Amino acid sequence: MANAAKRFEVIPGQPRPQIAFSGVTLRLGGKTIIENLSLGVRPGEFLCVVGASGCGKTTALRLAAGLYQPTSGKVDFDGQPMLHPRREIAIVFQDYGKALLPWRTAAGNVSLALEAGGMPAAERPARIEELLRTVGLPGHAGKYPAEMSGGMQQRLQIARCLAQEPKTLLMDEPFGALDAMTRQGLQDEVLALVAASGATVIFVTHDLDEAIYLGDRVIGLLPHPGRIGIELAVNLPRPRDQLSTREHPEFLRLRRQLFDFIKATEQ
Amino acid sequence: MNRIATIWLWRAASFAVAASFIALWQLIANLKLVSPVFLPGPDRAWASLMRGFSNGDLWSKLAGTLEHMAYGWLAASIAGIAIGAIIGSSRIMRTYVAPSLEFLRPLPVSAIIPVAIAMLGLTQAMALFVIAFGAIWPIMLATIHGFAAVEPRLYEVARSLQMSRLAVILKIALPSASPDILAGMRLSLTVALILSVVCEILAGLDGLGHWVLLSARAFRSADLFAGVILLGVTGYVTSVAMSMAEHRLLAWQASQR
Ligand SMILES: Nc1ncnc2c1ncn2[C@@H]1O[C@H](COP(=O)(O)OP(=O)(O)OP(=O)(O)O)[C@@H](O)[C@H]1O
Ligand SMILES: [Mg+2]
Repeated sequence: MANAAKRFEVIPGQPRPQIAFSGVTLRLGGKTIIENLSLGVRPGEFLCVVGASGCGKTTALRLAAGLYQPTSGKVDFDGQPMLHPRREIAIVFQDYGKALLPWRTAAGNVSLALEAGGMPAAERPARIEELLRTVGLPGHAGKYPAEMSGGMQQRLQIARCLAQEPKTLLMDEPFGALDAMTRQGLQDEVLALVAASGATVIFVTHDLDEAIYLGDRVIGLLPHPGRIGIELAVNLPRPRDQLSTREHPEFLRLRRQLFDFIKATEQ
Repeated sequence: MNRIATIWLWRAASFAVAASFIALWQLIANLKLVSPVFLPGPDRAWASLMRGFSNGDLWSKLAGTLEHMAYGWLAASIAGIAIGAIIGSSRIMRTYVAPSLEFLRPLPVSAIIPVAIAMLGLTQAMALFVIAFGAIWPIMLATIHGFAAVEPRLYEVARSLQMSRLAVILKIALPSASPDILAGMRLSLTVALILSVVCEILAGLDGLGHWVLLSARAFRSADLFAGVILLGVTGYVTSVAMSMAEHRLLAWQASQR
């Protein structure tokens, strides 16, 4: 673990990471929340982050979004220091109810991102319709968020993020509050969307199965302060399938390894 | 029992109350329990109201009062929302400025009337100042509260979309605060009407307040009551209109409950 910082340094000949944490430490309110975190996320990679509650997953994601600035160390995006949030990085918040504008319809919420991107008003309706269809909400354009179920609201938030045409999609336990069926459906939809757009993804979750099912790589964080405790490459064939992938021996092996890690951190 | 039937029952009941109130008033007047010099019956008040409208006197007085009220209220709304937005959107301003506002607010507006008269004289400008000063508080305090209560998550959405400061105010903060702002504006409407009448009485400006004052001095009690009734109707109609506007503008809220 001592050479954790070295492990992710840019190696000549390797593609430059899209998001690179180099020795990032973050202190908030006198407490060290993240310590000496180094991590590179390759373009197009699907990285999942797991860890016990309060270990700093959300904080790490907010650093990747540019919503926090590190106390020391740096976060780079495409080789440039990340000094503020940017449109190429979209973030899907866990609390979708708070992240949507209640006074705007589904179409209006998607439109917010298009407006911010400077798309002319005349071109927006067609694009909005397309995006709502992509996330499985065709025919709901005129509904207000409060008139939609949790799953629909989270789909809407994803549509708004896609409207940003992000290079990187950050997702903070996006399906945490949804029931198992809705969750599995959305997992497959996200995989399909990401495959189609080629976006890089950092996906935070509590659910170890979800992390392995979705990711190319899973990292587990250790708490107090937050740092990387385990890193697993997921060599499971794509496209993934809810039944066969979850029964794959490799899936079960990774699941066991991750489970043991989390159990050990909880002691 | 369905909702419509309940609503109609309530309406019928309140109509009955109003009707019996007028009947009682007529009875007291007829029996001359109070001298007719001070208390006209509803019949005489109504006749005076009709006479005032047909010869145009009351129309011009009503127009005067509505004008004072509207200008003062609009000035209060614009200034109240602007100042409230500035204070409400900055934590530093909220910490340092808001407490002194809470101190100023309970100050009766009547206390500043002499100041306004001393500075501006018995003029329209004085009336506008006093009305706007009185009506600004509910709007400004509601705006501060509304701006302070914007969901922080929405500001993060705005940051990650790299929205401009102006866009954040227009597309996020103002709509989010609009239920508070509109409620404040409705309260201010009543304040503006009261202060219009007060200023008309004090400064002799053309309006229903002045009409009421002159009628009282001349012991024309029927005219006096006609003016008072008209003021009541004005207050009621403007506040109903405001509620309807609120209902339309905040249609999105209906689905939230
Ligand atoms: N603004 C802040 N000021 C001080 N401490 C904070 C702040 N934000 C988070 N923390 C602390 O940092 C730690 C990590 O928080 P974080 O929200 O990143 O955890 P998490 O891994 O996302 O947890 P969960 O799984 O419960 O969402 C927690 O102990 C939390 O109390
Ligand atoms: Mg979290």
